[in-house]
Amino acid sequence: MSALQPADYPRRSFVARQLVAAGAQFGETDGAAVALDYGDAAGETETARRMGLADLSPLPRIGFKGAGTAEWLAGQGIVVPEDSNRASRQANGLLAARLAPAELLILGGLDSDAEPIRALGQAWASEPVPPVTPRGFPLPRADSHAWFLLSGREAPAMFAKLCGVDLRAHKFADLEIAQTQIARISGIVIRDDLVAAPRGAAGSVPGYHLLFDSASATYLWDCLIDAMAEFEGRPVGLSALRSLARG
Amino acid sequence: MQSHRLPAPAGLLIDRGTPVSFSFEGRRYDGFAGDSLASALAANGELLLSRSFKYHRPRGPLTMAGLDANSYVQVGDAPNVQADRLPITEGLSAKALNVNGSLVNDRDRWIEHISALLPVGFYYKAFFRPRGIWNVWEKFIRAKAGLGVIDLKTPHDYHDKAYMFADVAVVGGGPAGLGAAIEAAKAGGEVVLIDENPRLGGSLTYARFDAAGKRAGALTAGLREELAAFDNVTVLDEATCTGWFADNWLAIVRGNRFIKLRAKQAVLASGVVEQPMVFRNNDLPGVMLGTAAQRMIRHYGIKPGKRALVATGNDAGYGVALDLLEAGVELAALVDLRSEAPAGPWAEALREKGVGIVAGHTVWEAVPGPGKRSIVGAVIDAASGDGKVAGKPDRIDCDLIVTSVGTSPLGQLLCHSGGRMVYDEALHGFVVDTLPKGAFAAGSVNGRHDVDAVLADGRRAGWEAAKAAGLATDGEPPPLGPRDSLNHPWPIFPHPKGKDFVDFDEDQTVRDLENAVADGFEDIELVKRYTTTGMGPSQGRHSALNAVRITAKANGRGLPGAVVTTQRPPFKPESFAHLAGRGFEPVRHTAMHHRHLDLGAQMMPAGLWMRPAYYGPEAQREQAIREEATAVRQNVGLIDVSTLGGLEVRGPDAAEMLNRMYTFAYVKQPVGRSRYVLMTDPTGAVVDDGVACRFNEQHFYVTATTGGVDAVYRSMLRWNAEWRLDVDVANVTGAYAGMNIAGPKSRQVLQSLDCDVDLSAEGFPYMGVREGHLNGIPVRLLRVGFVGELGYEVHCPASYGEALWDLLLQAGEPFGIRPFGVEAQRMLRLEKGHIIVGQDTDGLTTPHEADMVWAIAKKKPFFIGKRSIEAQMRNRPIERKLVGFTLPQGSPVPFECNLVIRGHDIVGRVTSAVDSPACGGIVGLAYVHPDDAEPGTAFHIKLDDGKFVTGTVTAIPFYDPDNKRQEM
Repeated sequence: MSALQPADYPRRSFVARQLVAAGAQFGETDGAAVALDYGDAAGETETARRMGLADLSPLPRIGFKGAGTAEWLAGQGIVVPEDSNRASRQANGLLAARLAPAELLILGGLDSDAEPIRALGQAWASEPVPPVTPRGFPLPRADSHAWFLLSGREAPAMFAKLCGVDLRAHKFADLEIAQTQIARISGIVIRDDLVAAPRGAAGSVPGYHLLFDSASATYLWDCLIDAMAEFEGRPVGLSALRSLARG
Repeated sequence: MQSHRLPAPAGLLIDRGTPVSFSFEGRRYDGFAGDSLASALAANGELLLSRSFKYHRPRGPLTMAGLDANSYVQVGDAPNVQADRLPITEGLSAKALNVNGSLVNDRDRWIEHISALLPVGFYYKAFFRPRGIWNVWEKFIRAKAGLGVIDLKTPHDYHDKAYMFADVAVVGGGPAGLGAAIEAAKAGGEVVLIDENPRLGGSLTYARFDAAGKRAGALTAGLREELAAFDNVTVLDEATCTGWFADNWLAIVRGNRFIKLRAKQAVLASGVVEQPMVFRNNDLPGVMLGTAAQRMIRHYGIKPGKRALVATGNDAGYGVALDLLEAGVELAALVDLRSEAPAGPWAEALREKGVGIVAGHTVWEAVPGPGKRSIVGAVIDAASGDGKVAGKPDRIDCDLIVTSVGTSPLGQLLCHSGGRMVYDEALHGFVVDTLPKGAFAAGSVNGRHDVDAVLADGRRAGWEAAKAAGLATDGEPPPLGPRDSLNHPWPIFPHPKGKDFVDFDEDQTVRDLENAVADGFEDIELVKRYTTTGMGPSQGRHSALNAVRITAKANGRGLPGAVVTTQRPPFKPESFAHLAGRGFEPVRHTAMHHRHLDLGAQMMPAGLWMRPAYYGPEAQREQAIREEATAVRQNVGLIDVSTLGGLEVRGPDAAEMLNRMYTFAYVKQPVGRSRYVLMTDPTGAVVDDGVACRFNEQHFYVTATTGGVDAVYRSMLRWNAEWRLDVDVANVTGAYAGMNIAGPKSRQVLQSLDCDVDLSAEGFPYMGVREGHLNGIPVRLLRVGFVGELGYEVHCPASYGEALWDLLLQAGEPFGIRPFGVEAQRMLRLEKGHIIVGQDTDGLTTPHEADMVWAIAKKKPFFIGKRSIEAQMRNRPIERKLVGFTLPQGSPVPFECNLVIRGHDIVGRVTSAVDSPACGGIVGLAYVHPDDAEPGTAFHIKLDDGKFVTGTVTAIPFYDPDNKRQEM
């Protein structure tokens, strides 16, 4: 049993019980327990290459929406994708996902550093009300949306059982976004490869961030575990993802 | 002992190294892996598979391709399994369907002897008079009707669904399909090739294309090699395309998976189904189609009979005869319907082998063996015209009659999405006449039958589909060649004694069809429904052609322009399990869901959410609800209200937005205060309510009902698309966990925690809202009074919800805190006279009817519904009014929707009623006649049992009318 448990912290993953049941070993991040591994970090790295499911819900993230959002974020140093449904990697490890012309979702990096996200929130809050220029409004994405990461070459085939959008690697490119239905609930899918490789080259490990209604987290966790079984997919911890991302 | 098994290399699909034992009708048999149930039985000399639907006549393999109902069997709890498609597995146990007794000795076989009493339409004519007689007959008919047996306790089997995508989809893996797939693949697109067989090749795997019998093998090898060179072709073998919908959305059944394939372009290369010849006893085991015999020989290595007669009207029948000879079957004769046998290599090869060719003749009847479970001979006669014989019968001993008189295109899938098949008189059969958008037909389904023409047509269709899909095609496609036909114009020979079957599924004969026309059902669509021809499991695949011919002749309209009856999905039967799939039923859990379960809550659905109804065993429901309510009234209770909707309305025009969306006034609402919100729709009907909490000049946090929040959110977005107010609306329902801590001791509980909000009555009055922290957890605090006691709604980020719930319960322990559920809350709010939108209102309730005029700001220029409400007030008196009521002590508690009766009229209904411990009796809300709405007025409620109880209109709130408790 892990020394750390989700219940040790007031902030908890929406699937904390499922993680414990799966034998997760936890570490602390941003005031919550995150599943680092399930007792076999090395094996999980291989699993993640094939088909892995990681719960990143405790990791930091924030959203902004409304008139002036893109401009304000650009002023904060965020490289805002030009088009909707595209994401861009930031130098500080963040991922900026443009969901609409005036709506962005900012995901923290796998290093779990909460500071960049916190800084964005504080920067927004520090400005006067009413603002001098429109700057959008923050959205509580860390609580409205659970955050899973699906990884591996079999992930598209698994998604095909749950989602009507063609998410195959050659049709849904790195940093593309689909806002769609997954197992009959609304979800945001962002492709963010753990290991990038030139198109068609071997060795890439596709990654798909999946953000969806936090209240449906246990439902979707069960759906994904079920859909992954065919591909010998299993839960993987953050350590395996970090290991892959580091190369 | 597999007495009819041929030596290798016959038997393309079987693995002779893997024997398999199975049983049918309780008897054990041996076969090989790769055998179907029907082939394995045939290998053991058993052709008897089933009994017919109506007359219980013995039936055997007809198509060996899953295209007829003769092969339906029961396997365990699975009814209607096709024996010619079902792979045998070790220990498989199958039974016959629709038999009374056993398959061999079916006690219901007598029914065919009264067939004269059961003419077409008897069902409609016989059982409606005298009145009520149907009730007598129904039991008997239902007992006799049906095919397989459905086990209502069948355990769930895992099935799922998956999406696929393709530039070009090709349905059918025969020569046309292979050619199409190869050409489409050359263009570089993603190609999906769907074939229902375990081995690609279609007719190349079983049919004969030259007298020497070498052509098919060479072609197959070449096409396979060509296809294998492409890595952009996905082959779905053993997969059946069952539906073809708009935009090339193809439904495909493969194993336990239902595949939804979206293709930019699609090619149908499904081939043809051979059509039966019609003569007396043409349905008995031992009479089969030429392609069925060929499939037996080449696919499974089976000798279909000992001595055969081949009846044909085309050259393909000669190929069948040669195949039978090579399989060691003695050929009694080849009967050719045509007046002269064709010159050329086919006939020559047969003559060389000493086979007698009898041209200008037909089979007049099959001679049944014992119990009609086999045949022992054929009576042939000279064919002297359309369906007529010379009357000079000649008997030929044989145990097998193989017919080859024509085909019909398997174009049903095209018809699902707008295609059409019509009768072509020159070709004596149906042709695909109209193609749906984005679809192509190729090969024999497209009227090409010579194998080279089939292949060329497939390549053409693949090339054209690739081009239409926007792929880079090279050169030009092969030209579209002319159609040809294998069809004899009239292979139908009605017998004076009948039993000349047209539709094997439904036991319909030539006379049945003629009688239908004579009864006035002249159109083929009416004939179909009256006779049920084509309405059985085969859906007319082996009967439509002959049925149209016979009908056209009987009604005198002729064949030109005749169309096939409407073809609907599925092309082949789909199980409900496939349609249901994995089954996704989303459910939403609040952050405290598991705490409720741990506390023994009985959960109830609220939309997608699960909410605790009450805590404790079901048997103690009433007690639990009363105790929970009492705890709130006397001490303190805690309820999970996370499911209530939450909307952030932010921006310079936020107050104006609320002013327009809701009936009250919000522009001057002070910061730090909440205000009731009531939403009406454009007709003035109440649709939602909640509270609006103002956190700053430009920020409202608005609550909505659990079931209504999504509609409210959509409505706000939709209206603001018109209004263009400078405001942003976000639905944050799931982002916040909410709990209401209520009761006279609730403030003490909160004050016992580390809280940075002044919780005193003065510092935080009723209807105030605050933001702060409880033991470090960020919270929004709302002083509201839904249950009529001092109380606070505490909203926190959902990820903290469980910890905050634990914190409050722990802190409340010294104060006697108790969690309470939805049922207790309903009681408490009813005691206060608060309505629940959707329970105490319906889709037509106006604020006046609900006695909520107090919630309407009179001076506002606009809100949604204002115009309608004002018009109603001006022009139409209300017809009902929602009032509080009490009942005499000892009365039963009315149910929701028990009617309110005035004289002989229904004037209203009960919307809520409880036996209230706090009020000492039954209190409730009901719609009554407006004239009865004054307190003290009596009105009558009709209970479920028909008895009446008299209620008394009572002013609300019933409890704490001065509202002192909630404003403490």
